[in-house]
Amino acid sequence: MKADGVLFHAKHAFMPNSLGYCGPDERGQIQSDLEGNRSDEELIQTLQKFEAAYPFLKLIAKSSGREIFDYLVPEAYWIGNRLLDLVPVSDFYSFSHHEIRGRDPEKVREVFRKLDGVAPPHHTFYVMSTYATAAVPDGPNVTNEAKRKIAEVVDNCRISWGRVSKVGKDELKVVARRVNVNDGGLGLTRPAVRRVRYNPEVRPFGTVRAGDVVSIHWNYACDVLTPRQAQNIAKYTDRDISLVNRLMNSKASRR
Amino acid sequence: MCVTRAGKVVSASQGRARVEFFDGRALDDVDVSVVNAKKGAFVEVFGNLALGVLSPAEAKRRKQAWTEVARVVGEARG
Repeated sequence: MKADGVLFHAKHAFMPNSLGYCGPDERGQIQSDLEGNRSDEELIQTLQKFEAAYPFLKLIAKSSGREIFDYLVPEAYWIGNRLLDLVPVSDFYSFSHHEIRGRDPEKVREVFRKLDGVAPPHHTFYVMSTYATAAVPDGPNVTNEAKRKIAEVVDNCRISWGRVSKVGKDELKVVARRVNVNDGGLGLTRPAVRRVRYNPEVRPFGTVRAGDVVSIHWNYACDVLTPRQAQNIAKYTDRDISLVNRLMNSKASRR
Repeated sequence: MCVTRAGKVVSASQGRARVEFFDGRALDDVDVSVVNAKKGAFVEVFGNLALGVLSPAEAKRRKQAWTEVARVVGEARG
């Protein structure tokens, strides 16, 4: 169970790490461990150096009385599951101030105040609320080109999902919904075909086939989701979007 | 996951920039077009996109916070 949790977490942390956006410079090691299906102590130590993801796992694990790499813990963080609801708001508030480096304390207070304390420690919520509280110049009057770029980075940073329609050598065609930025806040586009990279050496991608649902991070297919996970990621993403839109609309109405 | 990082634009051209972050890292190809940041500006970057510009005072505060974090982490690691 723990080994599965380590690998599940590494699969989802891999691509932003390889792009240099977070975590230690250990791209080669993570990839090698994923290809070898190894969840050894070295990989665990590397994952512990991620400045945001690992503290989130600790928070969820503590609140649910589970081990940090119990499969359900990283699953809650990246995909969403019932463990998110076990995290006391006061703990998440305190955590957001003290454990997440670089986050502006005033913005943290703004998020919790405007959402009446309803803020899940879910990766997608973190991504979207970061955008919602960023000081984007011109606020609601931001240009269409800027909206497109913002939507793209939010979409890449969150964990999205798609149903595989065609399997290529190192690329999948998936039917997926992207994030868009509109006047009311964030939303999801209608399903459309997109291409994502994948690594056939990483289990279970050697046997991926049309009809499977995969999780996606920075245009990279991380894992094949179970039907329960596919339901959960849609459910928790919808909840995140609605919370973030409440946050953004209260920001806009204040102007 | 992506973390929001603050840093200074050390060179910029046609909406792309090299940003040196307060945590000691750097990225060569940050899109600064949304915030129209120039060389010398302090920016808040998410992924590879600058989403905000920081005032010098705010940048100083963030840099101090990072320095403090680095000190605490260094002490914890012995």
